[in-house]
Amino acid sequence: MQTDSGLQTSLTLPSPSQGEGRVRGSSYATGPVTKAPAWHGLVAWDMLFNGMTTGLFLVAAISELVAPDVFTSVAKAAYPVALALLLVDLLYLVLDLGDPLRFHHMLRVFKPSSPMSLGTWCLTIYSLPLTVAAAISLLPAGWITLESVRRLAVVIGLLPALGSAVYKGVLLSTSSQLGWKDARWLGGYLTNSALILGCAEMFVLSVLMGHVRAAAILRPALGLLLVLNLIPLCLLLADLRTTLLRIYTHWELYGVGALSLGGGMLIPLCLLLVVDSSLFMLGAVMCILLGSLVIRFVIVKLPHASA
Amino acid sequence: MASREMELSGLPQTGDPPRGPLSAILGRLIDPFRRGAPPEPRPPTGFFTDTTVCIGCKACEVACKAWNELAADGFHWSGNSYDNTETLSATSWRHVKFIEQFPADHSPSQPVPEAPKPSGTGFSLDVLLNETKEGRWLMMSDVCKHCVTAPCQQACPTGAIIHTEFENVFIQPDICNGCSSCIAACPFGVITRSNVDGHSHKCTLCYDRQRDGLVPACAKACPTQSIQFGPIDELRERAHSRVEELHSRGVTDAYLYGDTPSKSYSELNSFYLLVDRPSVYGLPNNPFNPWLHMKGDYVRAIVSGLTAIAALVTVLFLLGS
Repeated sequence: MQTDSGLQTSLTLPSPSQGEGRVRGSSYATGPVTKAPAWHGLVAWDMLFNGMTTGLFLVAAISELVAPDVFTSVAKAAYPVALALLLVDLLYLVLDLGDPLRFHHMLRVFKPSSPMSLGTWCLTIYSLPLTVAAAISLLPAGWITLESVRRLAVVIGLLPALGSAVYKGVLLSTSSQLGWKDARWLGGYLTNSALILGCAEMFVLSVLMGHVRAAAILRPALGLLLVLNLIPLCLLLADLRTTLLRIYTHWELYGVGALSLGGGMLIPLCLLLVVDSSLFMLGAVMCILLGSLVIRFVIVKLPHASA
Repeated sequence: MASREMELSGLPQTGDPPRGPLSAILGRLIDPFRRGAPPEPRPPTGFFTDTTVCIGCKACEVACKAWNELAADGFHWSGNSYDNTETLSATSWRHVKFIEQFPADHSPSQPVPEAPKPSGTGFSLDVLLNETKEGRWLMMSDVCKHCVTAPCQQACPTGAIIHTEFENVFIQPDICNGCSSCIAACPFGVITRSNVDGHSHKCTLCYDRQRDGLVPACAKACPTQSIQFGPIDELRERAHSRVEELHSRGVTDAYLYGDTPSKSYSELNSFYLLVDRPSVYGLPNNPFNPWLHMKGDYVRAIVSGLTAIAALVTVLFLLGS
């Protein structure tokens, strides 16, 4: 028999009114049923570095493959940076475990039903071509054979890099935790955000290395990605609206909104479109980083704040 | 010489060969990847907890702690009835809940109900049975639900969480690395990560006892048969008969929680007979397996990513060529 609450039982559930008015004192009905995992700041930083490394690799690889004349030299600088960011990300991943010395147990099985298993495998596979590409990028130019190996590694790395960017949001949304369980667009937002972070990093590298043409192309690309990201972000906020309204006051929500939407999206967008100064461009990228971090912290804290 | 024999550490060890630091490290790296032969499937077992006969004695909690050698949790007055265990944890795999249901307007300012007066040398049975009841106590021994399709098992990236040959959900303590995915996945809030060893812990349904043909410690200790253990099909039949019996005796609120699957969740191998809404007992009214959303979430994430990549490629192609 299917009851009004959706629970299938062999007999009828008592109507909601039966318990009401009878309960006095403490009750289990008012507390949270689920337990929030001990995922705190480390996970927010892990999510940021995950986006930074995968995004940078994806944008560098795509740029290099689409317009090699313009982007190859910047991309060669990007791969070692992406590798360094990946190492920081892995450090956060390991430190967040209850027993960090058992990190390698993650590779005992390949379980597509577990986003964390899929993500670990994607990160592991992604690390191999990234390491090859980064190592060859650091060698002096002129080795044509190695250059083709580097290109091959870049192409091979595309799919696992995308997988590594995608899994993070699904890991949280495929859970029973308050807030996360409703966040259908969290994966979409984090994947887009990773590409924005990658584009911003490539843009900074282009500016720092003095590649004016590369920077001039990446600037509108970054602006377009920022605008595009409004779609999954708004859908995510719509998913989380009820939870956010329940756990935060209006003023707290305004503060988070100002930091994430205003500081992380609108201000950098204005700076990118209006001001033509390297200093302001770097400021725009810093704003994007800060906004991304704030949103990740808010998301990670949702079950804890709800409890 | 007798005392020499007592000092086991001083005797030559013939079991395990001595391990140097290198072999210890290698063992630590390789051992988790070794697999033994899987045991032969056995008839599925589980718990049927009849909350109508639970008296809140906590013998199940004590038996569980004693058998599994779980550490004490300290003592803390929760202020919530007789429940000072408060929640299932890494060191409390059974938790007796106490729900006091009395009229909301029952306050100390009202006259205290008069106790039945003894007739002759004691209380007569009639007086006790017919005394006016202003409220009721609900008691329930909570435990892992051993879900047939367990979100914790689906989430576990190390393969530490398995279904045993008895179809019970079991965390292999030598494999778990404390990633906490199972904690995030469990809709019942059962699993907890230990602050001592950093691994996840929960009821094993006394896997070790079952393998030796014994009844789990909690069921063995329960003095009222509120916790019943056995082959799951047999338990379900027994539970249905019990509900029918209660209905015939006027307890029309009685129903089974988790004995059959719903659209959003599988059946539970540890299921309950309740007499109020599940939320009153701290159970979700409508448990939901989060994996039902997984494919859609992946699709949304990939589509978002590919859209952004397409936009990026377009800009790069137009401006870069």
